[in-house]
Amino acid sequence: MYKLRWYHLLMISPVQLLLIGFIFIPSIYVLWLSLHQSSYGTETIYVGLANYIFIFADPIFWRAFWNTFVVVNIVVYGELILGIGLALLIAGWCPGKRLVISILLMPYAVTEVSAVVMWRFMLEPDVGLINWLLDSVGAGQISWATSRWQALGVVSVLSIWLTLPFTFLILYSAVTTLPRDVVEAATVDGATRFQTFWNVTLPMIMPAVLVALLFRYIFAMRLFSEVWLLTEGGPARLTEVLAVYLYRHGFRYQEFGVAAATGWVMVALSLLIALYYLYQMYRRMFRDA
Amino acid sequence: MLRLSAREKAVRLCLIGLALLWSGFPIYLVVASSFKPPREIFEVPPSLFFQPTFDNYRELFRVWPEFSHNLLNSLIVTIGATLLCITSSALAGYVYSRCRSSLLTGSAFFMLFVRMLPPIIITLPLFPVVNEFGLNDTYVILILLYATFFVSLSTWIMKAFIDDIPRELEEAAFIDGATVLQTLRKVVLPLAVHGIVAASIFVFVFSWNEFIFALIFTTRDAKTAPLVISEILGTVEGVDWGMLFAAATIQLVPITIFVIAVQKYVVAGLTAGGVKN
Repeated sequence: MYKLRWYHLLMISPVQLLLIGFIFIPSIYVLWLSLHQSSYGTETIYVGLANYIFIFADPIFWRAFWNTFVVVNIVVYGELILGIGLALLIAGWCPGKRLVISILLMPYAVTEVSAVVMWRFMLEPDVGLINWLLDSVGAGQISWATSRWQALGVVSVLSIWLTLPFTFLILYSAVTTLPRDVVEAATVDGATRFQTFWNVTLPMIMPAVLVALLFRYIFAMRLFSEVWLLTEGGPARLTEVLAVYLYRHGFRYQEFGVAAATGWVMVALSLLIALYYLYQMYRRMFRDA
Repeated sequence: MLRLSAREKAVRLCLIGLALLWSGFPIYLVVASSFKPPREIFEVPPSLFFQPTFDNYRELFRVWPEFSHNLLNSLIVTIGATLLCITSSALAGYVYSRCRSSLLTGSAFFMLFVRMLPPIIITLPLFPVVNEFGLNDTYVILILLYATFFVSLSTWIMKAFIDDIPRELEEAAFIDGATVLQTLRKVVLPLAVHGIVAASIFVFVFSWNEFIFALIFTTRDAKTAPLVISEILGTVEGVDWGMLFAAATIQLVPITIFVIAVQKYVVAGLTAGGVKN
């Protein structure tokens, strides 16, 4: 290892300056902003915790909170289950594996905007393919434009579609590095498939599962575009999630203090989820140092 | 390898088929529909065989003539952000790989920590500042923001790849009197090309597809393609869907081909950037 010299610090400074200038300082400023009443053309005044009291007393905030909670959990666990299943499926006997993985990866390249285009097209009333299929088997139609839970369901499916490639890849690379003889030994010893999976495979891929889970939790919480482009949080703000609540108050109603308070609630939730991971990293890094 | 019965193979094939349908069909549907005559777009079940036409594309550039400009904006911003992100991450990744000190450890931890913060919150304070500096609706602000949100991951990936390069090579260069930047450029980075590719993909795909920052920080000149597709989506009724599909197809086909072409680096990058550490 080399001794740290001044030019080494110079070399890490572009990265650190970007992070400090565009994420760290703005975030601290948002904390300050959340304690003030602020809008265009009016004086910014200190109001203490009034913005937090306002959002915690606002039923629309709580609806956005629970909408986020429900969607995030459906997305994260749905993706995890599908991801593990898919990883095991593709890691086994699979003709044309490279091509199959390429196709499974494709949604990763699609912007949220086009994903909304695709799913809205398939879910148009009467003429959308999915609604037409559901209707012709007598199951009724999905009315995402009017029903809160159906809209959130569509948002969840859309988000899973977009990010399943990420979860799948992490889990797939974990599954392919498993020592095969261990898994085969369990099977030869007469373990059922499920026993092998539960007692052998799953514990061995657990580190990857945790990484996927953690990152997906933190990133899923940021959910914005899918909701904004599908329903704008409507009808009557029924389908808002936290980021949409923030955007609406910040950029539509110009209530920067309220938006900032919402922002810090999101920060607190993200850090709460990340705490375990950050603690592990902290220990490992400072032990090495 | 355990032997599979014919029945099991059939089940597996069905499941694989379902998975392919799930990820590929929505994309296929939009791309195929962009070549259909407008009145055939809403036929259910969708026609598999049709006379392909470019009517929707002609219509797109008639109604939204600035779309080609928006695509160019996307390309410029994407390349700019990728260059900025990779250059700064390569410099930092080298230092994190080769040096140890508690200051570095602390700053590495800071990098991870900051990355956990949700991007949307920074738009609130940045919006007035960006206006103040006249950066609203410019490439510069998008390039800076897109690069910032990927320097942590990219630095991590670069560090992991540089870790695998033996240090003897650099030391020979140092003995010959090369500076650290010369060594990095001539000795280390040429050997870390796979890392550079792996790190580039994530910021490249993100910048090409990003929506929120573009929505907030661009108004006319610097608008990117995803933002304009969302505007087209906001106006569609009936037959207009054709141009929407045309726009979406132009935006997504190149990036999809790119992702498929660099597939193995995506895996390598994810492994280096997340699971290994």
